[in-house]
Amino acid sequence: MANNKMLIGFFVASESIFFLMLILAYVNFHGTITDGPTAANSLDPLRTGIFSLFLLASSFSVWLAGRSMASKNHFMLKIWLVVTILLGALFIYGQASEWLGLIDQNITISRNVFGTTFFTLTGFHGFHVCVGLLMLTILLGLAMFGDFKGPKSDGVECVSIYWHFVDGVWIVVYSVIYLWAFL
Amino acid sequence: MNIWQVLSSTWNMEPWVLISALFLLIGYGIATGFKFTKLSALFVSGIALYVFALVSPLDYLGRTYLFSAHMIQHILLLLIVPLLLLLAIPEKLAKKALSVEPFGSIMKVLGHPLIAWFLGVGAMWVWHLPSLHDMVLANDNLYIAQQISFVLIGMIFWWPVFAPVESRRLSPLTSTLYLSSACLGCTILGMLITFAGAGLYAAYMTPVDTMGILPLLRGELCLTPGVDQQIGGLTMWVPGCLIYLTASMVTLARWYSTEENYEISTTHYKEIKNFE
Amino acid sequence: MSKIPLVPENTKPLPALGENQGMLSWVASVDHKQIGIMYLISTMVFFVIGGLEALVIRMQLAKPEFDFVSPEVYNQMFTMHGTTMIFFVVMPFLIGLGVYLVPLMIGARDMAFPRLNALSFWLVVFGGILLYYSFLTQSGPSEVGWFAYAPLSEKPFSLNKGPTYWALGLLATGISSVASGLNNIVTILTMRTKGMTMRRLPLFVWMILVTSFLLIFVIPIIASAFAMMLLDRLLDATFFTPAHGGSAILWQHFFWGFGHPEVYILVLPAFGIISEVIPVFSRKPIYGYEFVAGSTVAIGLLSMGVWAHHMFAVGLGNVANLYFSLASMLIAIPTGIKVLNWVATMWGGKIWFATPMLFATAFIIEFVLGGLTGVAIASVPIDWVATDTYFIVAHFHYVLFGGSLFAIFAGVYYWFPKFTGRMMSERLGKWHFWLTVIGFNMTFFIQHFLGLMGMPRRTYTYHDFPYWGSMNLLSTIGAFVLAISVLIFIWNIRRSLKHGEKAPDNPWNAWTLEWATSSPPAVHNFDLVPPVRGRRPLWDLEHPDNPDEPNAKIVL
Repeated sequence: MANNKMLIGFFVASESIFFLMLILAYVNFHGTITDGPTAANSLDPLRTGIFSLFLLASSFSVWLAGRSMASKNHFMLKIWLVVTILLGALFIYGQASEWLGLIDQNITISRNVFGTTFFTLTGFHGFHVCVGLLMLTILLGLAMFGDFKGPKSDGVECVSIYWHFVDGVWIVVYSVIYLWAFL
Repeated sequence: MNIWQVLSSTWNMEPWVLISALFLLIGYGIATGFKFTKLSALFVSGIALYVFALVSPLDYLGRTYLFSAHMIQHILLLLIVPLLLLLAIPEKLAKKALSVEPFGSIMKVLGHPLIAWFLGVGAMWVWHLPSLHDMVLANDNLYIAQQISFVLIGMIFWWPVFAPVESRRLSPLTSTLYLSSACLGCTILGMLITFAGAGLYAAYMTPVDTMGILPLLRGELCLTPGVDQQIGGLTMWVPGCLIYLTASMVTLARWYSTEENYEISTTHYKEIKNFE
Repeated sequence: MSKIPLVPENTKPLPALGENQGMLSWVASVDHKQIGIMYLISTMVFFVIGGLEALVIRMQLAKPEFDFVSPEVYNQMFTMHGTTMIFFVVMPFLIGLGVYLVPLMIGARDMAFPRLNALSFWLVVFGGILLYYSFLTQSGPSEVGWFAYAPLSEKPFSLNKGPTYWALGLLATGISSVASGLNNIVTILTMRTKGMTMRRLPLFVWMILVTSFLLIFVIPIIASAFAMMLLDRLLDATFFTPAHGGSAILWQHFFWGFGHPEVYILVLPAFGIISEVIPVFSRKPIYGYEFVAGSTVAIGLLSMGVWAHHMFAVGLGNVANLYFSLASMLIAIPTGIKVLNWVATMWGGKIWFATPMLFATAFIIEFVLGGLTGVAIASVPIDWVATDTYFIVAHFHYVLFGGSLFAIFAGVYYWFPKFTGRMMSERLGKWHFWLTVIGFNMTFFIQHFLGLMGMPRRTYTYHDFPYWGSMNLLSTIGAFVLAISVLIFIWNIRRSLKHGEKAPDNPWNAWTLEWATSSPPAVHNFDLVPPVRGRRPLWDLEHPDNPDEPNAKIVL
């Protein structure tokens, strides 16, 4: 049914307003920090940039999964789902270790507005990635039990729309937090 | 100098503006056979606004003294002039032009709503990056490129909504979404400029006061850099958005005034049987 | 009647329980009609609670220097009254009405996502329980007003748990609203019966569509603000605490960025009800259908760009105030178009003043009053005088009570026969109507003057200035008249449910599809969906020789 894809499309539109607000909050405080940690003095754009590549690549692999399903290649569908989940998990690992590193330096959500906006924005994004991983895992489980023989499935297509969205949001978040501070 | 003297002495007859306007007028005339119609009136007014935006005091003040003047010029060139020019293209002519390759396929790509949207909103955002804008003000060639890009990108932006060939247009409801999301893009930029605090664009903080009118602007007219920037941001935000809004009203009105084909998808029911 | 198509069986049967399973058949239901009814019942419960809170407020203000309740309780009462009425009465009522009527009006079997629909409803209930649970905490519910301005709503100014529950409860209803918005959009865009084109949609459905778009784009704004507020309160984040580098103004921007479109979320479906009721009881098709529908889209888009008029007193600067003032006044144009269309529909019609029409007519008058004071306070100098006074209180009660709630009453009287198969008592309805009009104007009209005389909004009590006591007393008496009218309304519903006259399928001789099925509709909605070849399908059926769109083809 076209219904499901329409629903996920509007849902993603609604979600992007949510992220837009978090980003605006970040932007609002960007120039106001006079002392304490800021993006420029406490983040490592290169390291996060590399982990971001994993997330970007996962968008590609989930697209390949959809293509495999369309061509009724059930085996490759499962492979690409596994690849997507692994890449997403790697990204989350990168985020988690970055968070732990910052917390070790006593940069927390309550330290100053940079901490507040940074952890909120990346935290909500990370949460969305985790939800996406959960959905991908469910898809994989169903595929293991023989679902999604193709050529069409709204489940796979909707999850992949959502996953692309999470990816797109990260591109904006990365540009705003990391590139803006270092360019 | 008082304000009237400023306004009357800052007309700047740039040859490239006049020549390009003349060129466009003659080109349009040749293409449409020099007939005076409703469409040609739109075209002439579009060109007139184009010339006005680029030779009037808006141009001079916007390049040296006032961000708000620049913004009015920007809105004219990106949103209003291209719309008038696009609306003036007769359907027949457009069909003929689109059948010529590679123009047809280029417009297919550029006129794709996603690409057109990103170009239209992107032009607004990118050209208003503070460092780029200051660079543009200092460099004449870049400035000319910017103005021309406004008009061209503006036409591409309006294409999915007001393309002269109906088959290239979005449906009215999708156009409303297209326009309102563009309005959101322009709102956010306007908002950022408005609330950014004075001095976002360094060039307007300390203009080179060759005419000696700075005391007039800053003092008598109260256009301090902060107020000036706020006017600019708000001009983009409120009237800018109203243009998108008006355009979506026009698409709705156009929709209501045409005969419609049935656009039905019943997903829950199988074919409905007729038992006459 | 020969060309009625047969609606075949649903391809996927919906999980519905049988008739005889008592409450379970309601709790477990995914049927849009049952969910709609549950929405309406739960909003009635919240309406009574919110009303009682209003009575406490009015009692406290009945005379100068009164101490009917403590200042803390008073603050809790006005906070909970505003929150309840907006988020748990008007919004869910209108959404619930939409859930019940949209599938019927477009000739569909159910919403596009019946389970999501049930989730939306139960999230509202859950949110309401979360909100009211705060009464059980040690220091009671939130005391910071319905817009919860920072830093008052932050630590260390509000150390009680009230605002936390408040934000959590509203977050839950926010998610519910987005879900129902999404559900409505997909339903309306994809599930219309054949011939029901977008240009033939009943205006109520149009309004629900635009409202749904507002919901999905505007609720995320406040959801993110609630998330930030909760992080501030629970994890010591510093979004809205100026003492730690945050910005209290940011909360205001976020809140009103949502709050102003919210006003239209509350009033657009009400416009929809009025646009259904007025033509039927004037025996004329709506005048200027296109303008009513188009102006709704204009209102929807404009509403998102004018929030800063709630913040004229903040000090955004004269330029910003000027622009927002002008933009706000612009909204009066599409709204005025609607009012003109309603009046023009009534003009020269054979008007039948049954109770729904009485409420609809009163709606126009009261809403125009509220709209006029709205245009007045959109102008900055007037706003600077009137802001945070009872003038504002009077203004938004004219819009939300005189507007939304009057329309809701009109809607209940109009569709009650369809919901229940019984007519409501006209006699009690007229009592309800007149007492509401008298009580409403008595309570709120006087508040315009109180406001201009300087009585601040949310004040716990006031000195015995000349006339203040008597004017406030009048307002309080009005509130009690309103309370009596609500009692009559509830009694009318209860009595009509049991002893009401049996309702025919189409008691008002109306023209939209919901009246083509039985009253109450069968579980599967329609045995037969009449062919739609115009905006008034039932009119076309009855007058095959004089259809609305003589050239329309019948599509089968």
